[in-house]
Amino acid sequence: MDAATPHEEGATGERDAGENAGAARRWRPSAAALGAFLVAAAITAVLSVTSLILYKHNERRLLNLRAREVSLVLSAAVTSVQTPVASGAALADSTAGDLRRFRTFMAPFVGTGRQFASISLWRLGAEPRPLVVLGATPQSLPQLGPTIQRLARRSDTLNLTGMLERAKPSLGFAYRAGASSNYLVYAENPLPANRRSKLESNSAFSDLNYVIYLGRSQRNRDLLLSSVKTLPVHGLQSSRVVPFGSGAFTLVVTPRGSLSGSFFDSVPWITALVGLLVALFAAALTDRLVRGRRRAEQLARRLDQVASETRERYIEQRSIAQTLQHELLPQKLPEMAGLRVNARYVPAQAGGDIGGDWYDIVPLDGDRGLLVIGDVSGHGVQAATTMALVRHATLAYVAEDYRPGVVLAKLSDFVRSRTNDYFATVLCGLISVDEHRVTFASAGHLAPLLLNGEEGRFVKLEPEAPIGFPHGAPLRETTVDVPAAATLVAFTDGLVERRGEVLDEGLERLRSAALAAHMRDAQLLARLAEELTSEDHRDDTALVSVRWQN
Amino acid sequence: MAELEHGAAEPLVVETEVDGDGPVVKVSGDLDIASVEQLKSVVSSIVEKRPSRLTFDLSRLRFMDSAGIAVLLGAVSQVETVRLRGVSHAVRRLLELTGLTDVFAIES
Repeated sequence: MDAATPHEEGATGERDAGENAGAARRWRPSAAALGAFLVAAAITAVLSVTSLILYKHNERRLLNLRAREVSLVLSAAVTSVQTPVASGAALADSTAGDLRRFRTFMAPFVGTGRQFASISLWRLGAEPRPLVVLGATPQSLPQLGPTIQRLARRSDTLNLTGMLERAKPSLGFAYRAGASSNYLVYAENPLPANRRSKLESNSAFSDLNYVIYLGRSQRNRDLLLSSVKTLPVHGLQSSRVVPFGSGAFTLVVTPRGSLSGSFFDSVPWITALVGLLVALFAAALTDRLVRGRRRAEQLARRLDQVASETRERYIEQRSIAQTLQHELLPQKLPEMAGLRVNARYVPAQAGGDIGGDWYDIVPLDGDRGLLVIGDVSGHGVQAATTMALVRHATLAYVAEDYRPGVVLAKLSDFVRSRTNDYFATVLCGLISVDEHRVTFASAGHLAPLLLNGEEGRFVKLEPEAPIGFPHGAPLRETTVDVPAAATLVAFTDGLVERRGEVLDEGLERLRSAALAAHMRDAQLLARLAEELTSEDHRDDTALVSVRWQN
Repeated sequence: MAELEHGAAEPLVVETEVDGDGPVVKVSGDLDIASVEQLKSVVSSIVEKRPSRLTFDLSRLRFMDSAGIAVLLGAVSQVETVRLRGVSHAVRRLLELTGLTDVFAIES
């Protein structure tokens, strides 16, 4: 590409720019490559999103299962809390508040590191009052009365109460053994001040964060315990209400990591990454193919162009050569009284070169004339120029002596002396118009056809070797009588030679075609040329017809 | 030659060998104006060596036209004896119609 190309690009536009070498400097993907990338990327996106959805769905399902497990564990805790408290209440009721026995029974459950921080036994009445307090003294014990009163309303069930607004928040459990009992056992456990609970890493639920509220709602003021700092929790979560005695806890769990495993966690991203790589690869491959095809098309166009240029040049040269040959043939046939003479030259078609066929009609003295038709072997400009040489030499020898046998013998010697490369078949016929007689000599040339009414036959000649061979003596002559209104047709071999045929078949085809045309008095030579030379005939052809008019 | 197909060309194959009588050029396929150059170059390389005899074996020749005959004639002017072997009816007719039966030594 020359330096001007990049300047032309701007003018030729985007589509063509990619085809020019100059565009390689600023690479831009082809539309097909972009399309391939987008399709692959879209498929990748769909796959990634699908796997993400499946993953999320699976996580949710797993989380719900885990939440259920946690709630079952929490429910199981009811028994462990209720049993000592309820037993203590039953003991106090049945022993009418025997403090010694109550203290002995409850002691193992109370204290630092034990189940409850504090347990107290209350006598119910208008003003409930504590009979005994085990473990730490509950805060503001005196103000607890109304709470105890409220808790005593329901018996035979574990009642819950949260002292959540206090400086040291705590959770209280109460039990009254029967509606008629005068005693109530109250147990209390402090909650961490900030309600934060450390997760134990060896716990079966170490993969979860949890928040536990007292009651059935997730109000902040009902918060009991949480493993997370900020509330409410966001994102994937599962909540369940866990009945606990007469009340309930609300449990909210969220996963700390991926529940289905870190591999499944990353599947959507792996899918996206691999898909993106595949998309890029597909785009690169498409781009390469598109460019390859464009290059091939460009090359094909170039080849087409070269081929058509070559063809044009060939046609041009061929037409120059044909013009040359045309100029070498007689431009106008001489008039001869009593004869109608026609001639036609048909150049080779279909890749054929120009040939060396020619003809002449030479008026002589009186009513005589000489018919010459010939074919120089070989093709091309050289054959045509040799033909011109032979033709003019013939005319020169005719001027000396116009006996056909003599003319051809001299001509043969002349050609032999000039060249070893070319031969010529020549038919020479001395026509006596008034005598209706023609004397022929043939140097390797096919005999002419004589058409007379319904009869057509080839003149019986004894051809000798072509021009270019030693003859020594004048060639044999054969004289034929020509009836009135008869026609002689002389021709060259291009008219009758066909691949795969014996020459006789071509001659017979000519004979019947000529006879049919002659009887209809049609344009004889035009018809023969049209019927007998096809689109693909590779040899040139000359035709001469001589018709006696009376 | 009625068994011959018209139209489709059979490629020309030219083989050269030497027997006791000198070089033999075996020609098979179609020898016509389209393929004649191939034989021409083979023949010209042989006649350069000025053999006294040259034989064309035409027994496997399918078709020959006057352009092919011209190549054989080219050898005649430079080699003393040009013999034709395996001449078919079609080739014989071509030779007869163009007065060439005396130019070549035709083996029967």
